[in-house]
Amino acid sequence: MHAHYGRILLRFWKNSLIREMSFRGHFIINVASEVVWIVMLLIFIKVIFSKTPDVRGWTEYQYIFLMGTHMLVTSIFEAFFFGNCWRVSELVRSGDLDFVLVRPASAQFLLSFERIDFSPLANVPVSLAVCGYSLAQLGTPVTAWQVGLFFLLIGGGVVILYALLFMFAITSVWLIRQTGINHLWFYTVSLARYPAEIYKRFAGGTLWFTLVFIMPVLMVSNLPANVVVRTFEPFMVLYVLGSAVVLLCICTVVFRFALRWYRSASS
Amino acid sequence: MRKYFVVFRVALSERLVYRADFFIATFLRFIPIITTVLLWQAIYDGAKVEQVGGLMYEQMVSYYLFLMIARAFGSMPRLSSDIANDIRDGNLRKYLLQPIDYLGYNVALRVAHKLVYFVMAAMPYAVVFWLCRSYLPGWPTGVMLLLSITSLVLAFLIGFAFNCLIGLLGFWFLEVSSLLHVIMVGQYFLSGHMFPLSLLPDGVQAVVTRLPFAYETYFPTLILLQRLDVNESLRVIGMQVVWVVVLGAAARIAWQRGLRRYAAFGG
Repeated sequence: MHAHYGRILLRFWKNSLIREMSFRGHFIINVASEVVWIVMLLIFIKVIFSKTPDVRGWTEYQYIFLMGTHMLVTSIFEAFFFGNCWRVSELVRSGDLDFVLVRPASAQFLLSFERIDFSPLANVPVSLAVCGYSLAQLGTPVTAWQVGLFFLLIGGGVVILYALLFMFAITSVWLIRQTGINHLWFYTVSLARYPAEIYKRFAGGTLWFTLVFIMPVLMVSNLPANVVVRTFEPFMVLYVLGSAVVLLCICTVVFRFALRWYRSASS
Repeated sequence: MRKYFVVFRVALSERLVYRADFFIATFLRFIPIITTVLLWQAIYDGAKVEQVGGLMYEQMVSYYLFLMIARAFGSMPRLSSDIANDIRDGNLRKYLLQPIDYLGYNVALRVAHKLVYFVMAAMPYAVVFWLCRSYLPGWPTGVMLLLSITSLVLAFLIGFAFNCLIGLLGFWFLEVSSLLHVIMVGQYFLSGHMFPLSLLPDGVQAVVTRLPFAYETYFPTLILLQRLDVNESLRVIGMQVVWVVVLGAAARIAWQRGLRRYAAFGG
């Protein structure tokens, strides 16, 4: 039997929209708090650059561009995948994963796409505005291929985050935890927000190496920003796009493997 | 008094159930500090000056470490949303029927939570502080230690009273929980959690350091850091007492006024 994935996806999105519309006040508040947060980050950056001309080679507006890029990647990930990854551990814990597994479609597809959170999506135009503002201040011309590569790398970054978080979520088949994935996401975000170069001096560069090459969360926002406002490194671009594909494959393999261990919760 | 002690004891044993989770979470909480320290290292290197915002590099690192202690006292996770939910869901009835003061009940609960936290977190904190010992100032004198502890206890009370007050807004507004996020973001900045308030321009600093948030985290941290002498510390403690009284009274009034409303509408 062949499942109509396009139609399923459309239905999922419609349901999400209906759910969101019933909490409209919530949406507005979320957007408001996000704007407050951005203003505070900008103040922090202003404070930093009132003291120093650069942070490990990043100038003020390059840094602001990095911030915008980071928000863009994380907002897209949060909108499309975070809620779904979070739900996976919940479904495993409660045993409700059964109801997904019995459906005649790819379980990974159903689990990954069921929900969209609309509030983070509102950050997308805001983060693009932050990027635009910094580009205007920098005054360097941006070519079309840079923009194309930027969005391609943003996509790659979202895939990397998805693969890592989804893999982590499914490990709850073995380890039942309470709030693990929230923590993991919070720490990933707080690590990846900064210029990758600051990690080079720590622990002989091992942390930097790990976060750039093994679990490339630093490159998720650093690399797209680099391509537009700093230097273009073909090797890194290929490496990150390649690792997005590889991680996605590993994630699928791990998911299938984990399902063999899944024993529903007793009821 | 005995009944509050019973509440305290029950909360104590309840908290100890999740000790493994606790332990891991406490260690993880230091991860963002590594990033912050590395960022400041980059800033000091870039600035090529000894002091930023009146702090040497070592003091800046210590600032963030001591901030964790101050936060441990002042932060009240979920207190406001718990209170708001009790009001909205009508759970409040349960407490009104008992010969117990709801706010007093919550104090007992929170003291228990904090004590468990301190006992569980002592080891991870000791490890991290030991690892960072080269950054820390020397041991405080007996007097300063006493002042530090006093200031931290007052920070706890400020945090409690403020969060109570916000939670009690639930008597008047249905959706307090969504407002909370905005408040948390603001608090993160205004309490000096993001960066020491001494980095702000003088005019802004003069305003921000008069708000209760600064007295909840920023000033206790400075006392721990031994940046304030005995007289300055006493002045801070005096202001903390003022804020405890003001916020506490406001919470008490909100409670009494709100209860009248609640009685009118509840059914």
